[in-house]
Amino acid sequence: MRIRVIKPGLQTTVQAGPRRGMRHLGVPASGAADPLSLALANRLVGNTLLSPALETTLTGVSMRFEGDGFVAITGASAKVRLNGERVKRHRTLAVSAGDELEVGSAKAGARNYVAFAGGVAIDDILGSASTYLPAGFGGYEGRALQAGDVIATRQVDTVPQLIKTPGEFRPRAATSWALRACNGAEIDLLDRQSKFDLFDTNFTIGHRADRMGLQFEGASFKVASGGQLDSAPVFPGTIQCPEDGKPFLLSIDAQTIGGYPRVAQIARTDRHLIGQLRPGDHVRLLWRDEQSAAEELRAKHDYWRQWLPDVAQLI
Amino acid sequence: MASGTREIDRAEAFACGDDLVAVELADTRVCQALADQLRETGDWIECVAGIASCVAQFDSATISLDEARERLKSAIGQVRVTDDEVAVLVEVPVCYCGVCGADLDDVCEKLGLSRDVFIEMHTGREYRIDMLGFTPGFAFVGGLDAALNVPRRTEPRVRLESGSIGIAGGRTGIYTLAGPGGWPLVGRTPATLFDPSAAEPFQLRAGMRVRFVPISHEEFATRVPG
Repeated sequence: MRIRVIKPGLQTTVQAGPRRGMRHLGVPASGAADPLSLALANRLVGNTLLSPALETTLTGVSMRFEGDGFVAITGASAKVRLNGERVKRHRTLAVSAGDELEVGSAKAGARNYVAFAGGVAIDDILGSASTYLPAGFGGYEGRALQAGDVIATRQVDTVPQLIKTPGEFRPRAATSWALRACNGAEIDLLDRQSKFDLFDTNFTIGHRADRMGLQFEGASFKVASGGQLDSAPVFPGTIQCPEDGKPFLLSIDAQTIGGYPRVAQIARTDRHLIGQLRPGDHVRLLWRDEQSAAEELRAKHDYWRQWLPDVAQLI
Repeated sequence: MASGTREIDRAEAFACGDDLVAVELADTRVCQALADQLRETGDWIECVAGIASCVAQFDSATISLDEARERLKSAIGQVRVTDDEVAVLVEVPVCYCGVCGADLDDVCEKLGLSRDVFIEMHTGREYRIDMLGFTPGFAFVGGLDAALNVPRRTEPRVRLESGSIGIAGGRTGIYTLAGPGGWPLVGRTPATLFDPSAAEPFQLRAGMRVRFVPISHEEFATRVPG
């Protein structure tokens, strides 16, 4: 099936799984900012969980199908229309040549995933089909989709069943989030009060919020680095606190090395939520010791495995 | 540890996340060697060295923090640093003109050097790649003459060309990709050092020896792709 983009929205990219094992070469993870939602969409159209799909940002996307196929939408809360009629997210939709799909703006959450049976036909670059915009590689010509672009899906071997995501496996997009986090490498550069406040502040996500990272507003912290730290490895989920005292949360496209104090690290179990944070959302960090975070991760895997057997690849 | 102080060499393995363990070692080469050796075991998801630290990411669903710490600790005891003599030497051609090195004259003025003397000093020694990072293939090249130490630009560039060569904080940086950057630019290489679609995308690796070879702008123009 071929799909023609009508309105590309703010930033719609092809995303699949992350690039792994290349951070020492400066290559960031990339991939779906919310891999759980990507997997839920792929599950509905019979794909492997990290097959390439479209990721929208805040605004939606609209497209016309030039062939028959199956599509599913998950992620942020948004209205979806097929040929002008409201259709539901979280279910397999059969589409025919000429049909037009419109995913509306996200009302809560930041990103929607549009998966097609077979997956978007894009070759891997450095081990993944995911788009890395800052360097312009991966995905569709290394860039966000534009009006008139035509993407193709891979041939489907078996027709997917028309199914729904069970209610208990539909993450709800929120405007307030609690993210579990562990101590970062340089947490001791925060003074006593700042250390306490880091886990006791209702932060607001600032306007600087993209796939590279998100600005936290609402509190300022005293860091005793003197701006003289040696550049050190950073990861998606690392919260850095530069000398201006404003924490910055790194997301899926984040650089591999940073020179600012790493004060906290979002626990693996909650990193997929970073992809749904949007400017104006409220965030609170919940401190966890590493062992408790790992136990909670295993519990989350046990729960999600009932619907997504390979959940450990995602979260 | 008292607030605001930090041991330089924290050679014990410590957690910096529920799936990240780290060690701090003063010697960048030891950090790199440790990351390389950890990677070879296949036990880790990511093994990344910084200037004075090494961080390894493990699968916290199947490996406990204590176990990860133990593995890292035992690896530290077995690190072998490759002798510099056997490291690959790469010659990087550089055009040091005012166009390719948009900040070259500013840098020379700050350092009180003529352009010729700067070029002589920058090309007159052998360097070593401390690490790749920041963006894909960006090379932090260590060993800059202390007399050439300048700070980063106060206003980073929104876009610079691929192959741009900058200096800052005692290092030379090679921008293998076009994009934003804050290091004052002193030249540009026509060589393609990172090509994501090539069979071997990375021409530079941590630990390689580097020599910068001056070329004219005419030569640059004939060799630069595109």
